[in-house]
Amino acid sequence: METNRQKLKMAVYWAASCGGCCVSVLDVHEKLFDVVAAADLLFWPIALDTKYRDVEEMPDNHLDLTLFNGAIRNSENEHLAKLLRKKSKILVAYGSCAHLGGIPGLANFTSKEEIFKRVYHESESTINPEKTLPSPVCEVKEGTITIPEFYDDVRSLSQVTDVDYFIPGCPPQTERLVEVFTAIVTGAELPPKGSVVGAGTRTQCDECIREKTENKQIKKFYRPWEIADDGITCFLEQGVICMGPATRSGCGYRCIKGNAPCRGCYGPPAGVPDPGAKMMSAVAGIIDEKEPGEISKVVADIADPAGLFYRFSLPVSLIRKKVS
Amino acid sequence: MEELRTGVYVCMCGTNIAKVVDVEAIAEFARTVPGVALAKTYKYMCSNPGQEMIVQDIREHKLNRIVVAACSPNMHERTFRSALRIAGLNQYLLEMANIREQCSWVHADTKGATEKAKALVYAAICRVKFHEELESVSVNMCPNVLIIGGGIAGMTAALELADAGNQVYLVEKNDHLGGNLARVDLTAPYLYSARDLLTERITRVMEHKKIKVFLNSTLRELKGFIGNFTASVSGVNGTGDKTAKPEVVEIGNVIVCTGYKEFDASRVVHYGYGKLPNVITSFELEKMIREGNIRTKEGKIPKYVAIIHCVGSRSQEFHSYCSRVCCMTALKYAHEIKSANPGCYISDIYIDMHAFGKGHEDFYRRSSEAKTLFLMYEKDDRPVIHKAEPKDNCEMLIEVNEKLSGEHIEIPADLVVLMVGMEAREDSHEIARLVNISQDNEGWFIESHPKLEPVATTTDGVFIAGTCVAPKDIPDTVAQARAAAARILARIAKEKIEVDALFSEVNENLCSGCRLCNTLCPFSAIEFDEIKKQSHIISALCKGCGVCVAACPSAAIKGRHFTDLQVLSQLEGLLAV
Repeated sequence: METNRQKLKMAVYWAASCGGCCVSVLDVHEKLFDVVAAADLLFWPIALDTKYRDVEEMPDNHLDLTLFNGAIRNSENEHLAKLLRKKSKILVAYGSCAHLGGIPGLANFTSKEEIFKRVYHESESTINPEKTLPSPVCEVKEGTITIPEFYDDVRSLSQVTDVDYFIPGCPPQTERLVEVFTAIVTGAELPPKGSVVGAGTRTQCDECIREKTENKQIKKFYRPWEIADDGITCFLEQGVICMGPATRSGCGYRCIKGNAPCRGCYGPPAGVPDPGAKMMSAVAGIIDEKEPGEISKVVADIADPAGLFYRFSLPVSLIRKKVS
Repeated sequence: MEELRTGVYVCMCGTNIAKVVDVEAIAEFARTVPGVALAKTYKYMCSNPGQEMIVQDIREHKLNRIVVAACSPNMHERTFRSALRIAGLNQYLLEMANIREQCSWVHADTKGATEKAKALVYAAICRVKFHEELESVSVNMCPNVLIIGGGIAGMTAALELADAGNQVYLVEKNDHLGGNLARVDLTAPYLYSARDLLTERITRVMEHKKIKVFLNSTLRELKGFIGNFTASVSGVNGTGDKTAKPEVVEIGNVIVCTGYKEFDASRVVHYGYGKLPNVITSFELEKMIREGNIRTKEGKIPKYVAIIHCVGSRSQEFHSYCSRVCCMTALKYAHEIKSANPGCYISDIYIDMHAFGKGHEDFYRRSSEAKTLFLMYEKDDRPVIHKAEPKDNCEMLIEVNEKLSGEHIEIPADLVVLMVGMEAREDSHEIARLVNISQDNEGWFIESHPKLEPVATTTDGVFIAGTCVAPKDIPDTVAQARAAAARILARIAKEKIEVDALFSEVNENLCSGCRLCNTLCPFSAIEFDEIKKQSHIISALCKGCGVCVAACPSAAIKGRHFTDLQVLSQLEGLLAV
């Protein structure tokens, strides 16, 4: 990579995330040398000892590129999202959580109150006779302590601030990141704002080489461990729910290659407002029963349907969150 | 996008809407919605002056979207679409808000109903904004016709079509034409000979240059869509004659006239059919009459003949429907038996005498005068047949709780004739699957509208006629056959057929070939392109029902006029007021 070009100023941040996205950045392996040759990493909490203050002191648009991973769970996540937006020319929602709300977004099936009750009062490992709960502001004799406010629901990055691009995946395939990064560094023409980059436009089925026929008449759904997968036939035709038909291609259908059905981390293709609902109505179409009672029995075999169909996308879906 | 200029028309429907919904308030509300150029109320929007008002407004005020708040679109969507067309606006830039069936007719509270009507109208205004101009497509109409079934219906339709110069392929499962009618001697009520009715037709069909008859043959496969079907016909296993190897023919329309089969009398265990040798079915008697030899199993000329009606018909246990032809056929038997054997005593044991057709009541009167003994029984109180003792001087005794006299009567019988009803043929399910039409619970093929479309089906280009639709007599069967032929002739005359613009389509840039939609289409409109590995919708077959649109997990299928944007904006509008 050229070195005489002005080096890119870059940040990587994690909000409500597991850390996997940051690790996926490290997964560029020896290409990391190319990255650091082309970019100065000014802010990356997992790897560099930089402070929020350092970011706050930057002039606006100081950063050329920020990869923001993680969902917005609390006020700290939101503050950093808005701050990095102000400081960045290009803000990328990196990974399923920033893109769709991701796994933390499943918390939207419950509420802050219920989560606190479970975690701080009921959990088997907790002893809390005073029934203390976290409070954003706490007075102690040494002074005032503040912690971020835990929100009632989880949001995706674009639900709190303006996002330029989305790189999907849990985590995104490192190869896709390198492609996007290279495009930015080399000054290639970028796609329109708001695009999903580093992914295909069709679905997993487009790449998946498993045999697909029209024979998708299901009398019983199975969890992957309940069948002896033949490694050849479309998972759906074997009664295993695979989110592939409702999920963007781009990962190289790696889960399916590993004989596990797609879980949907790449999110929906364009034009699908609610991938969970879409996949549910698709699955409803292949149930091979006519009587309501029989249909209910087949449906009952689907373990944790909400978690299955909305595993990564609940906060951006039409239902979005539990209404108390 | 051009400036949005929506016209909103609120109909009073006389007082149907106006007495519950405050239509003026709706119009006033509509005027406040951005993009609404004008809003008007009128007594009957569907009347000529109402439509003319819309046409004039479109022209004068340059309206480019129309919302009509009135009755169900089922009722008048066509009417208002035509008004848009007349005004030079694409007819699909219309949306109807149903404030009658879904509002004024089901609510009494004016305030609440008016609020609901506002929401419905607002939803329509939000939706119509995203309507697209759509054009219908036209496809070629192949003039050849496939007719399945060589009975009176099939032959009548075949001659009608072939005489007009069109090629007809007539497929008959048996080794001869004529169907069930070929088993009949005389016909009620005028006692014409069935043979006379048939012979001339069979000869003409067999000799007609434009009719190709496939005997001992069945339809194996039907592919394609209206105007453009290909049918593959092959010989019945083992009996195939010269047409034994499958023959593929190009056709534009299909008429199914596969007829009926008679009810299996042994199912009514009660009457001892199959056990008592002289209990026979109407078709067995018909055979004896045709052979001119009405005798008991023992070879004697019967002195007492009893005819029992409604065997298998009008009973919750078997078929709940009336088979329509048995009453008159029973009277016909009384005539025929009497004329063969004037000394014979005939009892006619019935539930109700259905003599609804032309000349039937007169026929019933004449039969009564011919000293036939009529005995009425209650539906669920069937006559009981016993074997007689030697002293009784007859073969059997029948006990009847006679309904009109209220008396328990015992009558002698040497021969008992069971008037078996009609039922759907056992292979009707296979036919329905092949030509993609529906059947009711009893197995009869379903017409697309029981009153207004009696011979059309939900599959365009596939018609049904005769007793495969429901029990009926010869005149009704012939009328249906001619009706189906006439419908097809009208289409052939146009050479092209317009297909409604409301079909679904696959976006090839998005379809990944998951094949989830492939078997869902109730009209078999989806085909899979093995080369492109993508699904494709045949627009001429698609009815725009939206099943595949909902099922497509990647939103590659778009239902024209029912896009996500249109439906979701309508929902948003509905919930916003």
